[in-house]
Amino acid sequence: MTGSNHTEQQNKLTTKDYTKTTLRAYFLQNGFNYSNYQGLGYALTMFPAFKKLYGNDPERLSQELKDNSEFYNTNPHFLPFITSIHLAMAENGMKYKDIRGIKMALMGPLAGIGDSLAQFCLAPLFSTIFASMAMEGLGFAPIGFLLAMNGVLLGIKLIMGNYGRKLGTSMIDKLSEKMGVISDAAGMIGVTVIAGLAATFVKIKVALTFAAGEMQEGVKQSVMDIQGMLDKIAPALLPILYTLLMYYLIKKKKVTTYWLVLLTVVLGVVLSFFGILA
Amino acid sequence: MVEISIIQALLIGLWTAFCYMGNLWGIYTNRCIVLSFGVGVILGDIPTALQCGAIGELAFMGFGVGAGGTVPPNPIGPGIIGTLMAITMSSVTPESALPISIPFAVAIQFLQTAIYTVRAGAPESAAHALEKHDFNKFRRSANMTILLFGVAGFALGFLGAFSMDTLSKLVEMIPQWLLDGLTVAGGMLPAIGFAMIMSVMLKKELIPFALLGYICAAYFSLPIIGIALVGAVFAIKHYNEAGKVAAVAATAGESQEVEHDDWI
Repeated sequence: MTGSNHTEQQNKLTTKDYTKTTLRAYFLQNGFNYSNYQGLGYALTMFPAFKKLYGNDPERLSQELKDNSEFYNTNPHFLPFITSIHLAMAENGMKYKDIRGIKMALMGPLAGIGDSLAQFCLAPLFSTIFASMAMEGLGFAPIGFLLAMNGVLLGIKLIMGNYGRKLGTSMIDKLSEKMGVISDAAGMIGVTVIAGLAATFVKIKVALTFAAGEMQEGVKQSVMDIQGMLDKIAPALLPILYTLLMYYLIKKKKVTTYWLVLLTVVLGVVLSFFGILA
Repeated sequence: MVEISIIQALLIGLWTAFCYMGNLWGIYTNRCIVLSFGVGVILGDIPTALQCGAIGELAFMGFGVGAGGTVPPNPIGPGIIGTLMAITMSSVTPESALPISIPFAVAIQFLQTAIYTVRAGAPESAAHALEKHDFNKFRRSANMTILLFGVAGFALGFLGAFSMDTLSKLVEMIPQWLLDGLTVAGGMLPAIGFAMIMSVMLKKELIPFALLGYICAAYFSLPIIGIALVGAVFAIKHYNEAGKVAAVAATAGESQEVEHDDWI
């Protein structure tokens, strides 16, 4: 919509304009930077709709874009909820100073809901499911991952955009309540899957055996096989214990990932060098 | 040793650029599983690429999480560079490619931080453009970060593929015991990813589900979809029960919410 519709008064927006702004949420981070984060992106997302609203008044358009370039940082997938409310209010002639409070108030909660849903539930869930498929050699897995992830996220964007336009601000509490339940339910699946994956995909095998005489491949010897003993105590015992150790270090000791990666690599190399792990 | 032609190197550069830009668009292309798949398609070795992608994806899963603005080690490391190594060099396995490529992941992380920092002046120049009503310049300014991402992604992918010869000579200097050790470490690294996710997700009331997942995988050897479905049984139950409670509360409260039905 290039907004060449020059009428005297402020223009009205159509559903198409709302949908367009909703989809422009993908551009929210096009100008990401360390001084105003998604601020420029927010103005960029709103640009065509603003152009339609204020296109015949360059002064006003410039001012709106400038005002809307201030610091912003939220979840891109839930952004349409905010932009739709913003547009609905602006369309009814409200000034930015009256809209600003809601825009800023929604930033934090929606970032929280969106991040917990997208980053901590959807992404790990699809990531693990499709990575395990890829591990089994299914060529469809990477495409499946993209389709699943983007299908759900696009759905969220469209629903949020509609919802924001229809219901305005009064329903944000209801929304977060419902999202809380969805997020809890997703968390249950997520934790189950990730625990299962930790048991499957973390590989730590003890190579150390005590044998009478020299080891021969393929020949059953009476050896004391430490890995076999561990498997009898509990399958995947070492992988789970190591994951728990990592969890403990991250959660309780606040060790950063760098140190953990370094520790793991050094441990792997040293223990393999001495023939303890294989 | 698989030779990479200049066309293939260019394609890998373009693919990396697209995926890296997708990082900002939020379309989840900048993930090991996706990145490495493209490399596999371009170089004609999809099975190795799938292995690399899966291993990297699981290991890096936890690295993607964090508050907005914090930059994690970048999956381009294992996804592009690691996969290139595993496909072109016979001495590098998908498992050992992961630890070898981690320094790249960290270097790219710093590059990304540098881009964000360099662009810190963007709001200033955008405001300046707006004062002059120069909307095109405003748009250029607001799109510059993603443009830099594209350029950086292309450079990383292209140079990575193009200089594989040099890289492979460096890798050949790594002794066998170290490669074996790195393979062992590659098997252990996913533990960090899982632990990082768990450190965010695992609440006290979810501990039974962690146990459930372990039992399903270790004792029953269920495939991952099966494990997800077992978890889904409890999730749906929880959702239904929470819905009932909410519905009761809503009718009791006698509010005039017309749109309420949409969300039940």
